[in-house]
Amino acid sequence: MENRNLYSVTGLFDTPDEIVQAVEAVQKEGYTKYDVNTPYPVHGLDIKMKLPPSKLGYFALALGLTGAIGALFFMWWSMSMDYPVVIGGKPFFAFPAFIPVTFEVTVLIASVGTVLTMLFLYFRFPNLSHPLHDTDYMKSVSNDKFGISIEAEDSLFDVVRVKKLFEKLGAKRISEINFDIAELNKKPKIFELKFMVFLLFTAIIISGASYFTLNKLLYMEPFNWMMEQSRVMPQSHSKIFKDGFGMRNPVSGTVARGSMPYMFAGQPDIAGEKLVNPFIPDEKTLTLGKKKYNTYCSPCHGNFAKGDARLNGQFPNPPSLHSDKVRTWTDGRIFAVITEGQNIMPSYAQQLTPDERWAVILYVRALQRAVNAKEDDLK
Amino acid sequence: MSRNEENKKFWLSLDDLKNSLNFAKAKENEFAEGMTEEFNLDAQPSHSRRKFLALAGASAAFAATACTDYRDKGEIIPYNKKPDDLTIGVANYYASTCTGCSNTCGILIKTREGRPIKIDGNPDHPISRGKICAAGQANILNLYDPERLKEPLSGANGKFKPANWKNIDNKIIEAMNKASADNKEIAIITHSVLSPSQKKLFEDFKLKYPTGKVYSYELFNDKNRQSAWKQCYGESNFPVISWGDANVILSLESDFLGNEGNFVEQIRLFAGKRNVDDAKNFNRLYVAEGGMSLTGMNSDHRLRIKPDAQFEFVMSLLNEIIFVRKVTSTTLNPSLSAKIGQYNLKGITSKYKLSENVLNSLVNDLISNKGKSIVYAGDILSEEVHIAVNALNDVLGNNALYNKERGNVKQMPLSENAEIESLINSMNGGNVAVILHFDTNPVFHFAPDYGYASALKKVPVVVTMCENENDTSVRSNYVLPIHHNFESWGDFQTRTGLFSLQQPVIAPLYNTRQKESILHLLIGGNAENYSEDGYHQYMMKNWEQNIYPSLSVASDFRSFWFAALHDGVVNYKAPAQTIGEIYTSANELLHYPDSKGVILMLTRNYTIGDGRFANNGWLQELPHPVSKVTWDNYASISLNTSKQLGVKIGDYIEIKASGKKLSVPVMIQPGMADGVVSIELGYGRKVGGTVGSKVGFDGIQFISKKNYTPMLISGISISKASGKYKFASTQEHHAINEPEVMEFHKQRSIIQEGTVAAYIKNPDFFREGKPKIEDISIVNRVQYTGTKWAMAIDLNKCVGCGICVSACNVENNVPIVGKDMVKVGREMHWIRVDRYYSDSPEEPETSNQPMLCMHCDDAPCENVCPVVATNHSPDGLNQMIYNRCVGTRYCSNNCPYKVRRFNFYNFRNHFADGYYNKDSLSLMQNPEVTVRSRGVMEKCTFCVQRIMEARQEAIKNGVPLKGSEVKTACQEACPAEAITFGDAHEKDSPIDYIRNHKLGYHVLEELNIKPNVTYIARLRNKAAEGQS
Amino acid sequence: MSVDYTRELSVIEGRPTFAEITDLISKPLETRPNKKYYIALTISVTLMLFGATCLGLTFVYGTGMWGNNNPVGWAFDIVNFVFWVGIGHAGTLISAILFLFRQKWRTGIARFAEGMTIFAVMTAGLFPLIHVGRPWLDGWLFPYPNQNSLWVNFTSPLLWDVFAVSTYFTVSFIFWYVGLIPDFATLRDKTVNNIKKVIYSIVSLGWRHSNRHWHHYEMVYLVLAGFATPLVLSVHTIVSFDFAVSILPPYFVAGAVFSGFAMVQNVLIFVRKIFNYEHIITLDTLEKMNKIIIVTGSMVGYAYAMEFFIAWYSGNPIETFAFVNRAFGDYAWAYWTMVSCNVIFPQLFWIKKIRRSIPIMFIIGVLVNVGMWFERFVIIVTSLSRDYLPSSWGIYTPTVIDTGILIGSFGFFFTWILIFIKTMPVVSIAEVKSVITGGQPTHHGGAQ
Repeated sequence: MENRNLYSVTGLFDTPDEIVQAVEAVQKEGYTKYDVNTPYPVHGLDIKMKLPPSKLGYFALALGLTGAIGALFFMWWSMSMDYPVVIGGKPFFAFPAFIPVTFEVTVLIASVGTVLTMLFLYFRFPNLSHPLHDTDYMKSVSNDKFGISIEAEDSLFDVVRVKKLFEKLGAKRISEINFDIAELNKKPKIFELKFMVFLLFTAIIISGASYFTLNKLLYMEPFNWMMEQSRVMPQSHSKIFKDGFGMRNPVSGTVARGSMPYMFAGQPDIAGEKLVNPFIPDEKTLTLGKKKYNTYCSPCHGNFAKGDARLNGQFPNPPSLHSDKVRTWTDGRIFAVITEGQNIMPSYAQQLTPDERWAVILYVRALQRAVNAKEDDLK
Repeated sequence: MSRNEENKKFWLSLDDLKNSLNFAKAKENEFAEGMTEEFNLDAQPSHSRRKFLALAGASAAFAATACTDYRDKGEIIPYNKKPDDLTIGVANYYASTCTGCSNTCGILIKTREGRPIKIDGNPDHPISRGKICAAGQANILNLYDPERLKEPLSGANGKFKPANWKNIDNKIIEAMNKASADNKEIAIITHSVLSPSQKKLFEDFKLKYPTGKVYSYELFNDKNRQSAWKQCYGESNFPVISWGDANVILSLESDFLGNEGNFVEQIRLFAGKRNVDDAKNFNRLYVAEGGMSLTGMNSDHRLRIKPDAQFEFVMSLLNEIIFVRKVTSTTLNPSLSAKIGQYNLKGITSKYKLSENVLNSLVNDLISNKGKSIVYAGDILSEEVHIAVNALNDVLGNNALYNKERGNVKQMPLSENAEIESLINSMNGGNVAVILHFDTNPVFHFAPDYGYASALKKVPVVVTMCENENDTSVRSNYVLPIHHNFESWGDFQTRTGLFSLQQPVIAPLYNTRQKESILHLLIGGNAENYSEDGYHQYMMKNWEQNIYPSLSVASDFRSFWFAALHDGVVNYKAPAQTIGEIYTSANELLHYPDSKGVILMLTRNYTIGDGRFANNGWLQELPHPVSKVTWDNYASISLNTSKQLGVKIGDYIEIKASGKKLSVPVMIQPGMADGVVSIELGYGRKVGGTVGSKVGFDGIQFISKKNYTPMLISGISISKASGKYKFASTQEHHAINEPEVMEFHKQRSIIQEGTVAAYIKNPDFFREGKPKIEDISIVNRVQYTGTKWAMAIDLNKCVGCGICVSACNVENNVPIVGKDMVKVGREMHWIRVDRYYSDSPEEPETSNQPMLCMHCDDAPCENVCPVVATNHSPDGLNQMIYNRCVGTRYCSNNCPYKVRRFNFYNFRNHFADGYYNKDSLSLMQNPEVTVRSRGVMEKCTFCVQRIMEARQEAIKNGVPLKGSEVKTACQEACPAEAITFGDAHEKDSPIDYIRNHKLGYHVLEELNIKPNVTYIARLRNKAAEGQS
Repeated sequence: MSVDYTRELSVIEGRPTFAEITDLISKPLETRPNKKYYIALTISVTLMLFGATCLGLTFVYGTGMWGNNNPVGWAFDIVNFVFWVGIGHAGTLISAILFLFRQKWRTGIARFAEGMTIFAVMTAGLFPLIHVGRPWLDGWLFPYPNQNSLWVNFTSPLLWDVFAVSTYFTVSFIFWYVGLIPDFATLRDKTVNNIKKVIYSIVSLGWRHSNRHWHHYEMVYLVLAGFATPLVLSVHTIVSFDFAVSILPPYFVAGAVFSGFAMVQNVLIFVRKIFNYEHIITLDTLEKMNKIIIVTGSMVGYAYAMEFFIAWYSGNPIETFAFVNRAFGDYAWAYWTMVSCNVIFPQLFWIKKIRRSIPIMFIIGVLVNVGMWFERFVIIVTSLSRDYLPSSWGIYTPTVIDTGILIGSFGFFFTWILIFIKTMPVVSIAEVKSVITGGQPTHHGGAQ
């Protein structure tokens, strides 16, 4: 006939004094698994119940220290290890300036941490399915009564004895609290269709919203990321000009600083007479010449100006530059060819600045010299 | 090795399957000679397959992401055919000539990818020496002005419709032919003619159309000076003065440092004599004036004297010098001497309450510096004053200071008033058939009592050539849009022995034509054969035939021509100007009125020229160098006069003169003479575009053809009028409002000054008795080794012209905020010129101080930025990361110099409904400088883009970066060379020297934030007291 | 002195039973709100919406909509921020510091004051977020790993503010919530409405009034109070660093408490009238608050005087001018409003009659808040408008938008207050029960 679902037997009292006496009695009886429920903390009960002093204070201390150290470490790491920047001439680890943040983080971690520890570690909250809930007992203790509930699990527990004890103590109302069977056997149904649909729905909403925000909204007025700049960058478009080119051509007939126009267009021979190479074949010029030659000339003229193109006949190979003709040409004459091009060879004026052209010529001279050296080179 | 085998397999397997013959061939020439030398199979990494897979995966991923719409950064548009000598991303420079006024300064135009983005002086130009004025700097805004006329218009009384060139040309040619047929006048109205080729064009025009006449005028002109010179020396070219040699300068109502003559050159020469390391040769500037001019601000001694008293003043000086001090090097005409005898210095002193000490020392200085001093009268003063001044200079033997080598050249004299009047008469008489306004705006400029506007109605064909719509164009039948300065060809000569050439730096933006080409076409008489290149060819021909031969240069014409274009100038030896004996009698001086009553003084403004730059926001927003007022002109009066009228700053006063009335707000200007009202001309355009219309008040209406001195109107009446006006000023007027704070800049040792005498006596006087600032700090500071950028500003040289501000605006894409925003104190200038008054509001002593970011070592702004948007670069720059800035404005609050500027709006959008956000403006922006958005803090960067350019160059050439080679925009522009910039750690560099100069100091040193802009204390060249 | 603290007086007048207390306090939560309430709500919501509009305009067009300019980079925005943070302080002070000092009289007002703290800090927290030029980048003020791999500047007082204010908000919130749990449980067991029951059950986390819980609960409450006390001091000290004036911090805190108490007092006067809590929020309590107002007010006054003395004594002309300018410069009117409201009027509280007269104390309370708002205005705007370089001096004039946002902030604050008093017990049920006569066992030194 014993009630399997019995959780506890409870008794209600009216005044703080009564409950204090009751607790003393219960304690004397030797019950351990019991609890006292009062609408507000009644002073001294914890002593009567022989509860050990709460350890939460230590938690607070520990958490606070973690916060402090963590904050300091993070500031040190971010400001002097990960991305050091000079700020106001301060050293990277400017301790005095870090104190306020350290303090704030300490307090934050400590207080939040302690509360969470209490609620979730100590009290195992949230717990809405405790048998005491929704009982008249609970209703009364949360309002104006003081109650004791002795749990069935207690070794000394026996319904009759407990009830007797309560009567002796003059409890106003004595009642048995049972586990709610339904509650116990209830299985939460996660894979219910409704729930799944709901999940799906929220997923779509969230992803849609975030897509709109991140890819559209954030690039509308007034949001401004200074990515669209109202200035014309090189090789960019411009609405002003009909042709849409942001880059313009200089007006013909004008002369920019440091660039005199080529005077001998169409008269390579005159150029040959008039133009003189401003450079002498020294280290610097030759390296420059070599670089430019290999970049622009060698594909057709070959690395050694032998006219051995790398273009495998997709393009008629040019003649060798070691021919007497070219060797007897003046630098100016070659300059004219590079500048204007000849036959199928196009002008290289765009690719090579005049100085570079002269350098290339010197390098070609060096090649020519190398191929058929003179006597005095041996000396 | 075996692995490599596998690799080979892997690489070739596909092909190995089919071992056909043609494949073998292919293989052959795949490995043709020289093709695969560097291609070593074994060198390939062993696991390239996995690499490949990884890559494939990656690319797939990218492809996937690409499908989602990421921000499109626009397409890349290269040149179709890259022009020679142009590297993308590297600036090209073109020498040209500025046509903003009649000084024809040589300019160097910086272009990027064929777009002009910055103007500076042409360093090879012997006159401008790489410097130009604020307007010249900001002129680039006119090129890209959204409101430029984009195509020709035809119509009448203010209503126009677009037309095409050909029709208009035909109509005009027709009209002109008809005119010459029935002998009606064809008038061209132009500004002063400065170009030989243009002059020739006009001559051709007269040949082609016999009834054609050319009239030229300037609102601000030096007619009085010229005619006076003619009276004295017979020839009409007032010589150029070599200011650089003058030890003593007496300036009479002349703003030769501010806006009169070629003031950029004059500032350079003047400041050249203010070198602290040569303190003994400091020049001394006396200014006697009624208004408070920029020159007055820089004077060592200043006398407040009404402009109409100047004649007496000069005469008494003459008397004192000739008869009292018995100094003379020339014999004057007896009648003149007699006249002089009627005046005496004592009389003047008491009559106008002038300081005796100053007068004494003035006379002493003039005498003791015979031949090394100059007396210079302002353009607005009457012919008599100029004659007297010529005489005075002659007596003092100051002819020595007339620069004989580089005299002035006038291609054509300006038209006399009589000519203008007769033109208008014949217009009214219906004898003028065609009028061509050659980029002029006479309706605005001519004295109203000419009745030009009404006369225009009687002219059948009125043609106006202009860049923007103006007061004249709206009254014409044809409006022809013309090229801007930077789209035009030209040649100019304003000094002997020097030509200055002008070449276009960008093809015409719109369907416009150069005004000369238009005229050239009209002369040609056939609308069909217009070519954009027409005037270019015409000019070259003119040079080849007329000018080139006369120069007798060795090289052939083409190379000569290209060299000339390259340099922008042609120098040649010209015969020196000869200045004969002065002969002048008293009868030129008879009718000079004595000073009486309140006098109205119409002066030049400092920024917008004769109104032609009215639509240029940058110039409108450039603070007035004296009053710091922007976007306005006003009637300035002295404190006493204001008390008499019972007006405060901003109250309206009504000015009545010969029937004309104007009610205009007053500015109480310290240093004004009592009983003088001065108004700057050029403001108050009725038709001046979105920016320029209805800005300020039009004082031109007071000019009358009847007036003997058009700019000085005596016998006017002023009275308090109703209404209050708020000026958009960048600096408050504490001098008047709160006298108790007047000396703060001295107390807080923001301005520290001394006298030349003290400095010569003891060069250390400045440092002595100053507390040494110790470097106290609770943490050990960062030390800057290596390059450390720093600037120094010499306050002896700085005259406060504000050209640096203009240059900075252009270089750094500084936005225009507009009048309303300046009113609430949101101007954006990165560098400002602070002006402080000391002593009394009546006789103030002014100090200028350019103020910009100090790039402090321990910058207070950096500490407080929560997001590290402003921080310090290793080379000592206080840098601003615009994209990181969230806009808390905390840095600005914490900046003791208040040099940070916050974008409270997207100003380009906010100003006049996005007027400066139009596409054309984007071409103007410096591509190297971020265009800041709303809500972002900005400030001077020491032109970091230029530093980076220099560093790039140094790295390219493999040489260490030399700080002294970097020039900031303000430094480059400063005509006084007051600014030095460079690497403070570069031994014996100018900056290193100046930072340790005995006169160097930092503003707000006591804050111990280690600013990096050093100021050289100003030495005033005061004359020793009471010697006689 | 009216109250003698050597003897514990009853905090609650009369001798209500526990049940009565429960009913009384939960009454507003169970009855429909009356007309007065709706009127109040309409007004405050209107104000809030007005502010929201102004805010929207600012967001779209930029901070240019305000009067701020180049010398005066901060004005109403930060003034309001500091003002509201200050208001917040009273709450923590009452609930934490008075708790540590075992001041039982606090029980009647603690819960409400805590609520007010939270709403005040919420209001304050808005301003740092909206005052920036590009509000959508506010996230950058927090140190989170980002694609720029940039961190924030931990040496910036403004960043300290971010930490201080967010910490302050979180801690106050937790403090407040922990206090609410038992009351929620009580309501859960009292209510008959199912929806309410569900909600209360959730928020009360299943509290069972178990003494094994009360035991830890009290410890944690003590710990929290211990943390909150230095926190509240630190917060305003840090805020005062924004203006980098050395002598500010202590009197900034005093000022904060000062204005906070005035605000609490003002609102309580209404609350106790509307819900007739006269015998729970007793006149004695109000009087005690007024006494604190005198004390803090005098501290503030002393600080004002001291500032001048130091300025003069330091002999630093710039600092001297800064203070002379406050009193006689362009913003003298603001300064004298501040002085009269903060120093002179509160002195009336020396008179017991005034201390205990509801209407007068209400008016003085309002004045104190006005005064404190102007104190911040003077400190921020006046100093900025007259900086080191006379050349860069400027004047600040507020725009409609500025005022709109200020008004809106009040609307925001009171809207929350109104929602709060209708949805949660404004007085702590458990605590009141624990302090009424007979609330504690006789042979344990409880209340008697």
